Amino acid sequence: MGNCFPGLMHKINMSGIAKNRIQDETAFVLHSYPFRETSLVVEVFSRQHGRVPLVARGARRPRSALRGLLMSFQPLQLSWFGKHELRTLHSAEWQGGQPLLQGTALMCGFYLNELLLNLLARDDPHESLFDYYRLTLQRLVQEVDHAATLRCFEKHLLQELGYALLLEHEAGSSRPIVAERSYRYVLEHGAVPQSGQEGEGMTVSGKTLLDMAADDYSDASSAREGKQLMRMLLNHHLGGVVLHTRELIQDLRKFN
Amino acid sequence: MKTPSSLEELIQALRCLPGVGPKSAQRMAYHLLQRDRPGALQLSAALGQAVQNIRHCCKCNNFSEDDICGVCLAEGRDTSLLCVVEMPSDMLMMEQTQCFRGMYFVLMGRLSPLDGLGSRELPLERLVQRARELNSEVILATNFTVEGEATAHYLATLLRAQGVKVSRIARGLPVGGELEHVDSGTLAQAVLERREVQG
Repeated sequence: MGNCFPGLMHKINMSGIAKNRIQDETAFVLHSYPFRETSLVVEVFSRQHGRVPLVARGARRPRSALRGLLMSFQPLQLSWFGKHELRTLHSAEWQGGQPLLQGTALMCGFYLNELLLNLLARDDPHESLFDYYRLTLQRLVQEVDHAATLRCFEKHLLQELGYALLLEHEAGSSRPIVAERSYRYVLEHGAVPQSGQEGEGMTVSGKTLLDMAADDYSDASSAREGKQLMRMLLNHHLGGVVLHTRELIQDLRKFN
Repeated sequence: MKTPSSLEELIQALRCLPGVGPKSAQRMAYHLLQRDRPGALQLSAALGQAVQNIRHCCKCNNFSEDDICGVCLAEGRDTSLLCVVEMPSDMLMMEQTQCFRGMYFVLMGRLSPLDGLGSRELPLERLVQRARELNSEVILATNFTVEGEATAHYLATLLRAQGVKVSRIARGLPVGGELEHVDSGTLAQAVLERREVQG
């Protein structure tokens, strides 16, 4: 009998390598760069498989169906196969429901992606971080001021990576943080009560720490100190990597 | 067998081309030396000449053999419009449409923070200077990729702060496009960016 469904036959054949095959996985493109003559390497952040690099064959051809589909900040359904580090994209489908990021929100989106690219190890799944990333992108579209959203994402990211901030108790004890007191936040240790002289770490008020624990940045001083504290912690974990998006956002602020 | 040093050097030199790895470079070198020696000489002469003669037009930043390129010198172009594109090929495309008779500025790149390409890699001071010199409306015609959008946002903020009028080319369904065959992203964005029907 002739094969009257060539597409179907192809699918059946492909299932022979089922163990190296991932089907219809929700993912976001974090970054992509040209590969060979007409292909693209896309770094994706997938829900169940974490950060994975995929080759999108022929994606840079003028009439490729993948053009315009493999866009950052859009939820996609991806299928891929392969047993080496660089896997091959088999199909991509648009999921929709997420308006394109524009203006400052777009810059913030780049910032999230730059953090994920630098801090997430490949093939390390972080399902709850993925869900939070998706929620954060939706928030970026809807709001005007993005600072609080970025702080919350940074906190979640560090927590998922195993560097959770100690915001409600003093380091090394169970004494609760008091809003009216002043503390020093020491890297890889936590908050210690401010003593008279200058010590290591960053001075931060108890109120800021409690506000950060509650994801509340409505207070201007908490927002400012929270940003400085997060920057110190992220810089430490980034180990000297410069975030280019941060520079661009700072430039833009100067123009306004 | 040891590869002769001149051949080794040629293979190394060919690797400076994008997408050319050690294997392709070797294949090209063998082809040039074995099958097409006149072609190789022509290539080397053309490369030398181009590198020596081609510079950036001081007005539009496009490649040019003179200080000012033909398009910028042409009579009868509309100096009240300045179109910003990413690459010379984009400018060529705009010219082919024959709908735009204004001036151009070619960025020769885009902002791509995740590739480490920041604002210092683009000739932004010259763009601002050109826009102010012409006192024109700036049309941002960078690509509708995330990088192109980021570049457009950056340029719009920069130029607006200088009091320059800025617009962005529209996006949506292609001319003659049928909804049935258009990709979901384009259609979704076209619905979001719909316009009121005039008249």
